Amino acid sequence: MCAQKVELVKSIPKEKYNVKIWNGARAIAEAVKVADVDVISAYPIRPYTGIMNSLAQMLANGEFKAEIVIADSEHSQFEIVKHASATGARTFVGSSGVGLLYAFESVTATSLGSVPVVGVIGTRALDDPGNFGMEWTDVLTTRDLGWLISWPRDVQEATDMTLVAYRVAEDHRVLQPHFIAVDGAAITHVSMPVIPPSKEDLSEFLPPYDLPYKVDPEDGPVSKGMHIAPSLIGPEERKVIDVALKRSKEVIKEAWKDFEKYTGRRYSPFIEAKNMDDAEIALVGMGAYMKDIELVADMLRKEGIKIGTVRLRYLRPFPNEELVASLKNVKAAGIMEFDFSFGSPNGTGSLYHEVATSLYDMDNRPKLLDFLFLGGREPTTEHFKKAAEKVHELAKGKAAEKKAYWLTLRGEDI
Amino acid sequence: MSETLLFNNIKKIPPEDYYTAGHRTCAGCGPALAYRLVAKAAGPNTIFIGPTGCMYVANAHQFLTSPYAVPWYHTQLGGGGAAAIGTAAALKALMDKGKRKMEDVNVIVFGGDGAMADIGLSGLSMGLSYNYKRLLYIVYDNESYANTGIQASSTTPWGATTTFTPEGRVNRIGNERLKKNMALIAAAHPGVKYVATATLHPPLDLMNKVVKGLNAGGPSLVHVLLPCPKGWFSEPSDTVQLGKLAVETGMWALWEYSDGNFKLNYKPNPRKHVKEYLKLQGRFSHLDPEDFDKIDKMVEEEWPYWEESNKRGKIVLPYEK
Repeated sequence: MCAQKVELVKSIPKEKYNVKIWNGARAIAEAVKVADVDVISAYPIRPYTGIMNSLAQMLANGEFKAEIVIADSEHSQFEIVKHASATGARTFVGSSGVGLLYAFESVTATSLGSVPVVGVIGTRALDDPGNFGMEWTDVLTTRDLGWLISWPRDVQEATDMTLVAYRVAEDHRVLQPHFIAVDGAAITHVSMPVIPPSKEDLSEFLPPYDLPYKVDPEDGPVSKGMHIAPSLIGPEERKVIDVALKRSKEVIKEAWKDFEKYTGRRYSPFIEAKNMDDAEIALVGMGAYMKDIELVADMLRKEGIKIGTVRLRYLRPFPNEELVASLKNVKAAGIMEFDFSFGSPNGTGSLYHEVATSLYDMDNRPKLLDFLFLGGREPTTEHFKKAAEKVHELAKGKAAEKKAYWLTLRGEDI
Repeated sequence: MSETLLFNNIKKIPPEDYYTAGHRTCAGCGPALAYRLVAKAAGPNTIFIGPTGCMYVANAHQFLTSPYAVPWYHTQLGGGGAAAIGTAAALKALMDKGKRKMEDVNVIVFGGDGAMADIGLSGLSMGLSYNYKRLLYIVYDNESYANTGIQASSTTPWGATTTFTPEGRVNRIGNERLKKNMALIAAAHPGVKYVATATLHPPLDLMNKVVKGLNAGGPSLVHVLLPCPKGWFSEPSDTVQLGKLAVETGMWALWEYSDGNFKLNYKPNPRKHVKEYLKLQGRFSHLDPEDFDKIDKMVEEEWPYWEESNKRGKIVLPYEK
């Protein structure tokens, strides 16, 4: 733990908002309710389960109407929402860790069939051994499939992102499924003051779900997902999804702009860059631990180090231009990540590959280091400080001994 | 249900087809013939769900054609049970919330033995535990993974050769597992309203079982034995005849289980020896006359249980030892 004094967060005036103290699971359920979802499919696995528990209680209390189907597996869970969504129902689904991988076939067919399901993944380390800790590899396995993936920093943003996800996924320029990856425990199980979304504020923001060509006799004999001869329309089927993901960038920008109009809460759509105007080094990451990373950067600023932070809010579509713009003046950057890609170039994680690819064509691209926080062991501000120091040394011209550092590892980082 | 909904004779069969041209199934394909009858019986307000299998791959492909004149959506090989529940849940939610016109819409999964008895059994069981109306699971059982090149499934009968259970110098028999009884498994779900077995013969029996299942007021399943010339090494012209012989030799018992009441639909009398059925199929051509007798004895021993079930109106598990 750091010894420095931390500035307290200013309290939100009560008369202005009906603020609730909710954990992420409870708050996300509220967003699902406000979205007036029609079909929910649940299967238990920690840490995302609390979202479904909350929704089940809301339905039992009559707070809103939906069909909730308790599936026999995650594979069935994702099949259920895929087909419900294609029939014209707004859906909600979620999972964690190996649960998501159990559903993998269905997860793939959902995006390659362009069905705009919305799901929340409470990120979790994969088996074996069983591990309740937080890792991102579960969600990152889906990054190539055509799902939109956003990554909130805290409970409020997770709630807001859930609502925005419906708006973006269901937009006719996109019509692709959307994951919100919430860091397991750090968001799902941590409570904070939340301004609840309200149906009144958001009814215009989120129009009713209107799928062209539903699988419903009302829309005539639609045949969906027919087996094809690869030579006839194989590449075109894939191009449709490529175009949808490219188009989704403008839809995301519009959605967050509109979201501000209806709620007063302002978010930079793709990248949250802090102290980057004059920064010489940067720490780049996603999710809940960015709070701590930003805190460390603030402390180091006070020591005279010109450091900034860049938080990616979307992994898919990847905010290429925004990332390049934010890092164009830094000499070195550290990627902070909670996922592995064993045997990969330089032994780095997948986020490193994404960032490095994104920066490759820059004329003066920064040098990069990768910092891996694996196996669910929680990093502290000391680890983040250590990462910043390594990046600082690299920026000053000292050669790094390697690309990837396992900072939370006990024993030799060979 | 009202008897007026049933097809009393062949002239009552509607001329309209909802499973039409535009597929490229094999000549004499049993599942394709059944698809046509099932779709006719269900009528236009139907959504078909198609798990991967012959009735997925062979019903489309070369020219981007579709044989379905009603909505149809593919589901993954093991997804039939869940996909139907998703569809039915969506329709119910949309109707309950006033987002869609209230009306009866049938949801029918047309899944093969691999999709329903093997990889999708868990999802099917989940589906049978929910109480959505007008939800019918059809197990089209051609007794192998025929689309992938005739691999054994858990409904492949004893003694049949498949590419995963070939006959050879060491294994003289081929498939040594006993055929899984999907209708009995379905009947073990307390919320199930209607379960039946059927084949292509008699055709009205199959169509009426579809009508009964859809009108039963809850989840239902019809396990349909369907000859497959490709996998059974039989003549395409023998497909319907093989269905008839399966019933007449007692190898396929036609029964239905409606709201807790068991009824045997047909009792072969006298029962033909199973060799009448087996000798038309190349997949059994490696067996000796003694093997045919062994299969006939298995059938002989099973039948008293079906008759006892019929007498009591309750299912008596036929595989007691």
